Amino acid sequence: MNARIESDRLHARVRAMVRAYERAQPMPEPFDALAVDLARFQAKRVPGYARLCAARGVVPAAISRARDAPAVPTDAFKMARVFAFDAPDAFATFRTSGTTVGARGSHAIRDLSTYDAGALAFGRAMLARDLGAAAVVLVLGPSDAEAPDSSLAHMCALFARALGEADTPERTFFVRGGALDVDGLRTRIRQLRPGVPAIVLATSFALVHLIDALGGEALALPDRSRVMQTGGFKGKAREVDAAELRGLVAHTFGVPERAVVGEYGMTELSSQLWEAMLVDEGARSGVYVEPPWVRVVPVDEETLTPVAPGRIGIARVEDLANVDSAFAVLASDRVRRVDRGVELLGRATGAAPRGCSIAIDEMLSRVE
Amino acid sequence: MRRTDEERIRDVRRVLDAGRAVYTERARLRGEVARVTGLSPEGVDLGFESLERDATEAELRTLVARAGDAPRVHVVLSANVFVAPLRALAVARAAAPRVTVRPSSRDPVVARALVAELAAVGDASFALESERDVATIAEGEIHVYGRAETIAAARAAARVVVRAHGPGLGVAVVTGALEDAADAVAGDVVPFDQRGCLSPRVVLVAGEPSRARAFAAALHERLGAWGGRVPRGELTGEERAEATRWIEAARFAGECHVGEDHAVAVAPMEGHLGVPPPGRHVVVAAASTPSDAVRRIEPFAPFVVALGTDDVRRVTPLAPARARLSALGRMQRPPLDGPVDLRC
Repeated sequence: MNARIESDRLHARVRAMVRAYERAQPMPEPFDALAVDLARFQAKRVPGYARLCAARGVVPAAISRARDAPAVPTDAFKMARVFAFDAPDAFATFRTSGTTVGARGSHAIRDLSTYDAGALAFGRAMLARDLGAAAVVLVLGPSDAEAPDSSLAHMCALFARALGEADTPERTFFVRGGALDVDGLRTRIRQLRPGVPAIVLATSFALVHLIDALGGEALALPDRSRVMQTGGFKGKAREVDAAELRGLVAHTFGVPERAVVGEYGMTELSSQLWEAMLVDEGARSGVYVEPPWVRVVPVDEETLTPVAPGRIGIARVEDLANVDSAFAVLASDRVRRVDRGVELLGRATGAAPRGCSIAIDEMLSRVE
Repeated sequence: MRRTDEERIRDVRRVLDAGRAVYTERARLRGEVARVTGLSPEGVDLGFESLERDATEAELRTLVARAGDAPRVHVVLSANVFVAPLRALAVARAAAPRVTVRPSSRDPVVARALVAELAAVGDASFALESERDVATIAEGEIHVYGRAETIAAARAAARVVVRAHGPGLGVAVVTGALEDAADAVAGDVVPFDQRGCLSPRVVLVAGEPSRARAFAAALHERLGAWGGRVPRGELTGEERAEATRWIEAARFAGECHVGEDHAVAVAPMEGHLGVPPPGRHVVVAAASTPSDAVRRIEPFAPFVVALGTDDVRRVTPLAPARARLSALGRMQRPPLDGPVDLRC
């Protein structure tokens, strides 16, 4: 079968899952059925994945469940092409923010509609299910026009268009030329109409910059407003403990702490995980939930096999929306499955290296 | 009174005397060094061969010239290879009449042994100390050997000059016969299980990609043979995890030869080289032209401490600034002419 037709059919199956989720219907097919077909497709169309399967002694035709398929480490996105189509057919290419000793990871996507459908369906459910049509979206980040290779900028722009009232980029995005426009944000928030809630989308380091710049000043948002925070600090701001930051954000915007919701995404994925603070009274901070087309499996960092329930492992993220790249991605974050989702425990810090041979992490931190 | 260069050289020679004495005693120290470093006993024996025991007059003159001058030097040793304290003490002694040494808390064996030997021959200029806040040091210089955060902390707290020697890595450039070069590079990779900043982790092979692939296969074979004679020591869980990730990514990106105690990857012509973690892991890349070679190492050039090659004359212009140049097979044994790391 033609690769494009095969890919289109796989995309359609993922979008059918997304639609079923939006309509609260049963999934049209089991997760593993689609995962197996994706693994076989990617082994056929992505040369690196074929090599990885061969090196691990995995015969793609014999894969019968998702966990049998090797996961592609995020580092591979920096070292080789991870896509199942001809390069000119890429509709968008998202790149990781770090320079990683000269290279940025890149995730080329041929058909963004599946990405958009999944991100919006689950994002709306976790962040804005109760808001209806009227909301204002404020992004403490650059517009997608200013950062066209940022998957986060793309997602925020998507949310701004779909979840908020139509507005100009100047009144929506508050990072311009790499700088946070605190005065512009202050003015914009003062203009907000009471009764129309705001959705603030921000990185953790942008929030820290804002809080530092405000020096204790509050920018109270209308009732029922909420804040999405994502990402770490990457040396771009002072490190702030997650619980402390949540409290500071809630205080600054005058929202309950449970209205500060964490999002976890990666350039190498097409889907996101969310804290369920707004939709599940029993949810606790630091615990993220997956949409039905994503599965996070903690794996042993040496054997790459699933760890026992409740044990900490490295995140193997199976994202069915990664149709044309790698449906199973090996992240470097430590995770643990808990009652209501998956706990994100940050990157393994590792022991202090023995010897003066430079550690990869140290190179990265000094180059970025 | 300020010492003359001859007096400084004489004082450094005492450090070399102590090095020879420690080398003679290596069988006694072997077990403890193996325990604290994680190296295999055979790896410890091999590492002791890199302990400096002699130097030419010209090398010591260069060392003295590079060492500077201070009334006292405080040496702070942290992460390093186990024989590295000798050079650190030699540089400090060249610089100052009095030296205090704070050994690595994890790996104090050779530093303590050297200071003991120096005391035994009547050199009372060295003193060991276990803990001291660098902020309390009001005189002389501090020589810090360690990771970036250790150095940054020392610089932030210190009231005196800090000379820092940070971590790095080695790069090898192969232009000639592949089999000979594989022999030599394997001999540079194995010592200290690649935990030293002189250890090559990246090899550029001049020529077509097929030459890089052939070299990788040859290196894989040589490292396998080395593993039989000098088994790799125990890697920490974090090191094993990092190796697993790198091997998986390398398998995706291209060829990767995985042995029991090592792995050798072939990088694709385009894209990131994917610098491997220590532990006898090497990435091999083809460089079709000199400018291609420069392009491939440029992203991590600031971290390159050593560059080994089989054609020093041709490769010298390509070397990152202040990287030590040596012949393949000699990367782990730079002359005692100053600190290993000349970047500072």
